[in-house]
Amino acid sequence: MAGVTLSGVSKTYSQAGLPAINDLNLEIRDGQFVTLLGPSGCGKTTTLRLIAGYMAPDAGTIHVGERLVSSKDTLILPEHRGMGMVFQNYAVWPHKTVFQNVVFGLKLRKVPASKAREGVEQALALVGLSGYENRLPNELSGGQQQRVALARSIVVEPEILLLDEPLSNLDAKLREHMRSELKQLQRRIGITFIYVTHDQAEALALSDQIAVIHEGCLQQFGPPREVYNRPVNRTVADFMGNVNLLEGKVLSSDGRKGEILIAGRLRTVAALPAGIQAGAAIDVALRPENIELKRLENASAASGTVVDHTFLGNISEYQVALDNQRLRVQTHPSANIALGDAVEISFAPDTMSVFAHTDPAR
Amino acid sequence: MNSGGANVRRPALARPTARLEWLRFDQVVMAAAVICLVILVVLPLCSLFIGSIRTPDGLSFAFFREAASGRLYRQALINSLILGAWTGLFSVLIGVPLAWAISRTNVPAKPFIRVTATLSYLSPPFLTAIAFVNLFSPNAGVINHLMREEFGVTWLTFNIFSMKGLVLVTVLHTFPFVYLLAVTALQSVDASYEEAAEILGAGKWRTAFSITAPLVAPAILSGTLIAFVNSIALFGSQAIIGLPGRIFTLSTRIYSLFDYPPQYGLASALSLVFIFITVAALFIQRRFLARRSFVTFGGKGSRPQLIDLGSARWGLFGFAVLVFVVAILLPYASLIAVSLSKSWGLAFWKNLTLANYKFVLFDYDVTQRAIINSLILATLAATLSIALGTVIGWIDLRTSVPGRRLLDYAALIPLGLPGIVMAVALIQFWLAMPIALYGTLVILLLAYTGRYVPLGLRAANSSLRQIDPTLEESARILGASWGVTMREVTLPLIRPGLFAGWLLIFVPAIQELSASILLFSSKSITLAVAVYNLYETGYTEPVAALAIINVIIISLAILLANRLGGERERERLEYRPA
Ligand SMILES: Nc1ncnc2c1ncn2[C@@H]1O[C@H](COP(=O)(O)OP(=O)(O)O)[C@@H](O)[C@H]1O
Ligand SMILES: [Mg+2]
Repeated sequence: MAGVTLSGVSKTYSQAGLPAINDLNLEIRDGQFVTLLGPSGCGKTTTLRLIAGYMAPDAGTIHVGERLVSSKDTLILPEHRGMGMVFQNYAVWPHKTVFQNVVFGLKLRKVPASKAREGVEQALALVGLSGYENRLPNELSGGQQQRVALARSIVVEPEILLLDEPLSNLDAKLREHMRSELKQLQRRIGITFIYVTHDQAEALALSDQIAVIHEGCLQQFGPPREVYNRPVNRTVADFMGNVNLLEGKVLSSDGRKGEILIAGRLRTVAALPAGIQAGAAIDVALRPENIELKRLENASAASGTVVDHTFLGNISEYQVALDNQRLRVQTHPSANIALGDAVEISFAPDTMSVFAHTDPAR
Repeated sequence: MNSGGANVRRPALARPTARLEWLRFDQVVMAAAVICLVILVVLPLCSLFIGSIRTPDGLSFAFFREAASGRLYRQALINSLILGAWTGLFSVLIGVPLAWAISRTNVPAKPFIRVTATLSYLSPPFLTAIAFVNLFSPNAGVINHLMREEFGVTWLTFNIFSMKGLVLVTVLHTFPFVYLLAVTALQSVDASYEEAAEILGAGKWRTAFSITAPLVAPAILSGTLIAFVNSIALFGSQAIIGLPGRIFTLSTRIYSLFDYPPQYGLASALSLVFIFITVAALFIQRRFLARRSFVTFGGKGSRPQLIDLGSARWGLFGFAVLVFVVAILLPYASLIAVSLSKSWGLAFWKNLTLANYKFVLFDYDVTQRAIINSLILATLAATLSIALGTVIGWIDLRTSVPGRRLLDYAALIPLGLPGIVMAVALIQFWLAMPIALYGTLVILLLAYTGRYVPLGLRAANSSLRQIDPTLEESARILGASWGVTMREVTLPLIRPGLFAGWLLIFVPAIQELSASILLFSSKSITLAVAVYNLYETGYTEPVAALAIINVIIISLAILLANRLGGERERERLEYRPA
């Protein structure tokens, strides 16, 4: 029905400035929950506003289904796109009651009054705001305003709903609650959600597909597990939660696999990205929860020394020194390892990601 | 979000469909606003330029040479500058102490001081001038008469028909500019600056001079320049006080160039000289204002502590009372007295009468027409200026149309155009057009609307800045067109700000004299022109009656507008983003 396809989309705000979005290609299928994930300022809002039609791209095209909606020269206005959008600041109209806010879109569609009332009631029930019809926005909490914004957008049954960091202004507990409700809502009404966040946990929990964006460029587009476990580069690995990024060297390579040495200590065999040959410098990404520690009596055989230990309740976190690099390891709290212990490090090679070395200062 | 059906998706609602894209309502409105602005301001200004260099023997600067070499014109220029300079200085001497008293001291009766400043600002300057003539004209002025004949103290007489008199009358209207800017600045100086100085051991007075004064100096200078520009542009007082004293200024010189036979070319050249001065002053003022930014950044800082003046506060209070007496009480009490007397003089109270009111209201056939004309003009001009300002402000803040900054500047041009210059420009332009507008209400409406567009733009701009663009954008994506979005979201939200702006235009518009004086005809005569004409004809007592009627109409209009607007104001609900 209504997928969204971005092809080669670029947008620069000022002539001299860097592009906010650079050659973005994205194919969002109908009915999916897709998240644009990236640090603040990477161009997520810009992408969303381009999809909504508030501005035209400098280059590239945007299609909704088969229909061309945006290019440098064509711009279907937002009001003709059949989308909904929930803004980061909710943008609930302060001079209208909750009912008037929600019914606005139905009135524009000339829905008869009785049906419109019914629609508003349903939408408010869906977001858990029944009975608030006559309140004004300044009598509502932030979370409630956010729900009004949501109800206002879904009551017109858009084919695509755009959400710009809708949870970022809520406190932690409410945020978690709303997160699960958003996911349920999307499953129930089955429309395409394009969701923007800078919070990787939110993205992992909600999405069918995650698009990781960095400095205006798409880094990776895939399901949460893939993006988390198989980051395509150091940037993605770094952004998707805790990770150890270690420097290493390729000892031998057969083109696809090879023996590598990590941090001058750990020798293992790993799948190598294309184009990496023996002798090349590499970066290795290793999640702390995928590493196991074993205490050794014989320090000379050990791979590292425990230099810090934090008990976090459900897990124990260790810092292990390997030569001049540090490794962060998370284990079950029952592990019997203490500060200063010599430890052996092990991990399944397929939990590790290898990239060509890039200068971290960049 | 409670549980619902498994899948509540209904057949999709009709989607708003794309309509004709080549003729969009928003583009039509914006284009119309741009065209209006061009017709109101840009084209008349261009014809002023052309008119000033088109001489009988081809294009030349002959008119400018004449304006520069003619003793009459040089003297007018010098007089205007002298008037502006003295007025600026005295505006500071009156405005700053009052502002400081209000915002930083425990002076008594602060509401009284505020009202004094507001009334002085709202009071029509030409009425003050007329009142002072009744009191201080060399022979007939009652106070002069009293001093000379009754008390025999000739040295206590005061000739109002002098530069001193002109400065006095003008400054009563211009000191509020300095006062208002200084109050705003003083209130926004973060008290922590001052507290820091005090912690370092500086006394309160020392702090006031070494910390506070430099912080608010840009605002004060900026207010002074505005007072300067306004004072030299005031035609009424310069004609009423200056002409009998043979003190010609740029305004009155330009005016007299329209005596038969009119000298359009010379008037245009002189107008351009005038514009040059005001624009230069306003340019410097903007620079000062730009430097003011560091004053406000305290923002939420703690309220400044008030200085306890001890018994000195009564001195300051006395000063405020003096200002009130001279600016408000004396003029209005004397105008009322004159209007009620059969023959103005020391013994006026022996023969009180309402005949003057009856005369101006019913026998003098101009009055009623003038009242109606002025009400219509002020209402329409305020509404149009606000409408135009809103569209231009919206273009500037909400679109990326190329050239929108230029549009913004074009709308600010009239700030640098004294009323009489605006009139000269409109005459030049419309005399060359095939439509006969000269002498109609329409040309007056054009002059007023053009003059007050900057105020409309300022009101719209500051209101629009306060509403987040996403409030409009969320209406658009729900299917609302630009027009519907404006009607349903933007206008209701900026209405209070626009209304305040409307009133700020309506009040000066209903007492407009500087431009009207060149543009009126017997049909399109306005209230202020009627007062001035009656004054020129020498009817002292009826003039006072008409002046009082004038003030009553202004007050009623403000009251009514405030009543209407006040109700809406109460409806206004503050938007609290989460
Ligand atoms: N209206 C604008 N004018 C100029 N630059 C902008 C504007 N909006 C965003 N930018 C710039 O574009 C980049 C991307 O911004 P944005 O899309 O808002 O990022 P995000 O939503 O990911 O935080 C940023 O560098 C930002 O400074
Ligand atoms: Mg953003």
